[in-house]
Amino acid sequence: MLDIKNIYKNFGDLKVLEGVSTQISEGEVVAIIGASGSGKSTLLRCMNLLETPTFGEVWMDGKLLTPVDPYLHPEVIMASNTYKKLTASGMSSEAAIAKIKSEDLINEKFSVSEGKEYRTALKKIYDENHIDINLARQDMGMVFQQFNLFNNKSVLENVTLAPMKTRAKQMIKEGKSKKEVKEYFNGKAMALLNRIGLEDKANAYPSTLSGGQKQRIAIVRALAMEPKVMLFDEPTSALDPEMVGEVLDVMKGLAKDGMTMICVTHEMGFAREVADRVLFMHDGVIAESGTPDEIFNNPKHPKLQQFLSCVL
Amino acid sequence: MLLGAWNIFKANWQVILFEYTLKTLLLAAIAVILGTVIGALLSMANMSKIKPLKWIVTAFIEFVRGTPALLQVYVIYFGLPMIFPRINRMDPMISAFICAAVALTINSAAYVSEIIRSGIEAVDKGQTEAARSLGLNGTTTMIQIVLPQAIKNILPALGNEFITVVKETSLAATFFAGELMTFYKEYVGFTHDALPAFIVVGVVYFALNFILSKGLKFVERRMKAHA
Repeated sequence: MLDIKNIYKNFGDLKVLEGVSTQISEGEVVAIIGASGSGKSTLLRCMNLLETPTFGEVWMDGKLLTPVDPYLHPEVIMASNTYKKLTASGMSSEAAIAKIKSEDLINEKFSVSEGKEYRTALKKIYDENHIDINLARQDMGMVFQQFNLFNNKSVLENVTLAPMKTRAKQMIKEGKSKKEVKEYFNGKAMALLNRIGLEDKANAYPSTLSGGQKQRIAIVRALAMEPKVMLFDEPTSALDPEMVGEVLDVMKGLAKDGMTMICVTHEMGFAREVADRVLFMHDGVIAESGTPDEIFNNPKHPKLQQFLSCVL
Repeated sequence: MLLGAWNIFKANWQVILFEYTLKTLLLAAIAVILGTVIGALLSMANMSKIKPLKWIVTAFIEFVRGTPALLQVYVIYFGLPMIFPRINRMDPMISAFICAAVALTINSAAYVSEIIRSGIEAVDKGQTEAARSLGLNGTTTMIQIVLPQAIKNILPALGNEFITVVKETSLAATFFAGELMTFYKEYVGFTHDALPAFIVVGVVYFALNFILSKGLKFVERRMKAHA
């Protein structure tokens, strides 16, 4: 369902991600672990383009979310002027592609007419596959470390805002009245709040809630969009210890219901118990991946062994 | 001396309140309203992704912040008629008033744009990220989430700016634009008795700003109550 292809991310001179590829299938629960600074949050934020990858592509259900990365498409490289020059000088096709890839030569300056074929090839891929990022994000819920509930909205408004702003227009077009639509979304929101036992807080403002309550509402806010995949960015790291349990319980419930989840976490117990697959990140790459059993009971990468001895 | 001030006021209160003070208020209102509108546009331009636009706005703001307001009034007073020669053919008091209004508007627009920009930037980035992660577009995020929270940061500083503008209208007296400070200049021109006239003008300025500041406090409190 999610296909991460060779993601690189630089912040200025700082290289945070250095070629990350992975596929996440439907219903899978993936935990991403690793020391701070290893790039795990950046990877998660690249998935819904809160950070735009420097290179690489993100695909969801066969749709391209990022700009086209020319290096991932041989037909684009072969349309480039650099490729033509290299092959004209007698280099073989494979060698030319390898050289362009390894030395990042595609950005070489060329005149408008010279680059036309290359740009046409790029545009073709883009036009055939690209999806508007706002549309794609409606299918990807995200939960943040700092909750980020909307401070100027009540709990109920927090939950209903996005569905109202993105879906109401269509429903009104289909003949429902504004009031009906509002009641429909309010009802759904109340059902969700009921599920986490916070329906009595519907009219409260975020500043009056505890961290655990805020985070559970943040999860519900994302669920209100009925996403296909949920991204969790260290959802329990900012919580007081006694509130971690209630948030993890909600997440476990979600996993049991078959939600596709990608979870950056420091909760090794949660990763071991709930995840289908664990990715260990180190220095901007996935250093090791496997089932929780493989990762926690039989770690191979020396850095993973070191990491686990620190956190377990 | 206080008695002298009282006598001046008693003899001239009608012109002071209904001509000079009214013009001060008019000048301040023009500068504040137009300044806020233009300032809001400038802050949008300053935060836009179009780099040249950003550079122009930044240069403009730095110029206004880095030079005295009096100099700006001078520049407009002598510069504006070069662009619009009609101004020279107007009544001198009206032309001075127009030039002062333009200068003060430009001045307050620059300050207001900085106030709005910093107010928007002070809203936690996580708020924007959360809204965008739900699939809301940039405009909806701005209108629904960022601006309502930014206004609470902006309002106190904007109130200060309004009060500053009311006081800076006095610069218009340099060219006898007919506002409150002009009364002082004209009066002293006739009588050479400065201090009592100062007191009269000062008390009126103070009263204006006192009322304005209380009003703004009231609005602020109401905004907080609805948060």
